[in-house]
Amino acid sequence: MDIAVKLQGITKRFDAFTANDRIDLSVRRGEIHAIIGENGAGKTTLMNVLFGLLQPDEGTISVNGKPLVVTSPAVAIAEGLGMVHQHFKLVPSLTVADNIFLGMEIRKRGLIDRKAQIEQARTLSRKFGLNVDPAERVAGLSVGIEQRIEILKVLARNARIIILDEPTAVLTPQESRDLFATLRSFVEDGMTVIFISHHLEEVMAVSDTITVLRDGRVVATRGKSELSKRELVRMMVGRDVSFDRRPRSPGSGRAVLSVSDLWARDDRRLPALKAVNLSVSAGEIVGIAGVAGNGQTELAEVLSGLRPASHGSALLHGKELLEHSPAEIRARGLAHVPGDRLARGVDGNATLSANMLMGRQRKQPYSRRGLIDWRAVDRETKALMQRFDIRARGPRDLASSLSGGNIQKVVLAREFTAGGDFLLIDQPTRGVDIGAQEAIHSEIMRQRADDKAILLISTQLDELAALADRILVMFEGRIMGEIDGAAMDEESIGLMMAGIDPVAAAEV
Amino acid sequence: MIASLLPRNLRRTLAGQLLALAIALALGAVVILMIDENPLRVFATLMRGAFGDSEKIAGTLLQTTPILICGVAACIGLRGGMFNVGIEGQLFLGGFAAAWVGFSFALPPVLHVLVAVAAAVAAGAAWVSVPAYFRVRFGANEVVSTILANYVAVLLTSYFTIFLFKRPGGWSETPPILPSAYLPELFSFSRLNIGLLIGLALAVATALFFRFTTTGYAVTMVGSAPKFAEYGGINVRRAGFGVLLASGAVGGLAGGVETLGVHHRFMEGFAPGFGFDGLIAALLANGSPIGTIFTALFFGALRAGSLLLEVDTTASREIITVIQALIILAVSADLLLRRKGDRTGGRRWKF
Ligand SMILES: Nc1ncnc2c1ncn2[C@@H]1O[C@H](COP(=O)(O)OP(=O)(O)OP(=O)(O)O)[C@@H](O)[C@H]1O
Ligand SMILES: [Mg+2]
Repeated sequence: MDIAVKLQGITKRFDAFTANDRIDLSVRRGEIHAIIGENGAGKTTLMNVLFGLLQPDEGTISVNGKPLVVTSPAVAIAEGLGMVHQHFKLVPSLTVADNIFLGMEIRKRGLIDRKAQIEQARTLSRKFGLNVDPAERVAGLSVGIEQRIEILKVLARNARIIILDEPTAVLTPQESRDLFATLRSFVEDGMTVIFISHHLEEVMAVSDTITVLRDGRVVATRGKSELSKRELVRMMVGRDVSFDRRPRSPGSGRAVLSVSDLWARDDRRLPALKAVNLSVSAGEIVGIAGVAGNGQTELAEVLSGLRPASHGSALLHGKELLEHSPAEIRARGLAHVPGDRLARGVDGNATLSANMLMGRQRKQPYSRRGLIDWRAVDRETKALMQRFDIRARGPRDLASSLSGGNIQKVVLAREFTAGGDFLLIDQPTRGVDIGAQEAIHSEIMRQRADDKAILLISTQLDELAALADRILVMFEGRIMGEIDGAAMDEESIGLMMAGIDPVAAAEV
Repeated sequence: MIASLLPRNLRRTLAGQLLALAIALALGAVVILMIDENPLRVFATLMRGAFGDSEKIAGTLLQTTPILICGVAACIGLRGGMFNVGIEGQLFLGGFAAAWVGFSFALPPVLHVLVAVAAAVAAGAAWVSVPAYFRVRFGANEVVSTILANYVAVLLTSYFTIFLFKRPGGWSETPPILPSAYLPELFSFSRLNIGLLIGLALAVATALFFRFTTTGYAVTMVGSAPKFAEYGGINVRRAGFGVLLASGAVGGLAGGVETLGVHHRFMEGFAPGFGFDGLIAALLANGSPIGTIFTALFFGALRAGSLLLEVDTTASREIITVIQALIILAVSADLLLRRKGDRTGGRRWKF
């Protein structure tokens, strides 16, 4: 058997905390090997160890049968390893091509040969079917595109063993299918793929072998055919989890948000929202479906005061909210879970307490007459950590030291308890493990039962199917149509997400 | 409580800065060797010049005072994500404004000092208000505009001194201020005055402000994660403007303290480089006002020690400038390394 990567007895501690505990892992050449486990199980840590970003306290690594001390990513890259991180690491002010060739610039007479870089980037993206415009600046691009750039970066470095940390968290089902087709073609080419995911369907669909981690230990490594999804869930969370449609009773129906003829531009000054009309009532969850980058982010930003609208109106409790500052809109009842949690949702260099304090720093008991009571903040933070099952050592931990899913829970905890009656929720379960997903869904349903008006943006159709009362489908900045959440039919949603009006399609 | 005023990653920061310092001093030693002096003798002379006896210590503290106040000004800017490189200019204008109040008006003793200090503070804030406005209104880089404003400030105060308020006689300086506007001195044997205490109190107050007030929290968040702060409902522009204004006001105060406490008049080029030294002291302290007390003391000692250097060795006082420049290099290298060490972390670059 041809082993591409072999980890033996890997242990990694952060102070007293053991993130990886004597982990053994063998990955065969030419296979897709999935690594799954709850948030904080140690998946990212293990991959960082393999890629040389972290040094293990114990254990050995061998790559292609050769023992290796991976002192830095450069060593790993030289051995043909490549990693796409859970949180992307692109330089926003540079172009796509510049990012791809960062650190290995193509030179001509000592200068960077931009033209050649763009050419090569284009060739690369064609070859692997990863459609991007290499001359564009990264700053204005969607997360979905950013990920393609990250993959191209790895490919440009001739990686033969590719590690992807939650590659599909930010993708739509269609994009994920495309990605997996690409990964399949990689392994058919003799490359090896290791990927981390919280989506068990896709894990079952594409991987050859599955390793389950729990609390820093390996629970099992099995061939896919030996496992069912239910067994996987059991191994991961230790109980059954259900994602059936949630039962509900009708809300009060009081109008909370009504948006009419809303237009806005994106960062590149192109129209991103076109004549959007929608309304959300109290006790109702309105879902927004669509392929990422079709105006959902812009819609959320306009409604939260972070982006100016060019035209139209948006009434919150009957009063115009456009042209108002984020603070004013929040004061009128908005709570907002942003799609880009690392840039908007938290300050990674600040403590959990400081992150929880945001937006409520002038309220009691957090402060009194302009003076912050950090002890009260810590206490409240601890309570929220308990209620939302945030796995960290304490309120004084830096947000950046948490695992990806736990950072998301910090944002949710803060926003769901901010007291707003209009919740704008963008990708609530991105990167969250299935146990926590279920808990977050329950929390959203609880907010609905509290008669809150909820606008839920998600690229995961099963999430919308479980939660939404009505689903609006967005395509290129327009609302293509509305579907009853209880009678969701994937066929017509799929058509609308591709920009085709199902009624018109049926008539033809 | 004092512990909570210090930066969280203190050990890492301290180790990095000390290493940077050591490297800078080692490189300085090489430069000293190149001019055929004995580095040990030079450093020993520096130490003696800075701390040799109580008069020398007072001299060091006298030099420390404006560096400390300018350093606090820089810390305020850094915390709010603003790089105020214009402290030098604010210091000059503050110094001039205080002197003008000091020699133009006859006021009762304490009141005179207060009005003169207020004038210095107002002048510093006014001087930074234009770059601050351009920064928050049009996004003009404050580093560039405040540097440029420095030249204007230095020349403008020279113009005032030479053409409008020149004291009859030789030097380019204003008439002396009235004794009622003098800052009280601490000891009989030195010009060291309560300016030092003002600086110390200011450093502690600033640290407390950032740690324990809601406004301080908001400003800190704007500095460390502007998009998060904006999302959370903090008015990022207003915070940025306020931070620059406060930073400029403290810069002006530094100038006022220098004229009212030390020179008792405004002279052309009266406080060369204090603004820049303060900025470096703040950077070396990683933006911590408490840390700045110590780094300012270090730079004050270098300056004071260098006086004896010219007397006792063949090394010129400029060697101090060289050492300072090396420290800046080493510290910025440390900052870069630290950012690189953070590589498993976030996705956005920021300064
Ligand atoms: N730099 C660090 N300092 C301290 N603790 C850390 C650090 N990095 C990770 N941890 C801790 O180690 C544990 C494992 O984190 P890791 O990021 O590997 O989880 P994960 O399995 O990738 O989770 P997720 O699915 O949420 O991404 C977490 O409890 C996390 O808080
Ligand atoms: Mg992870």
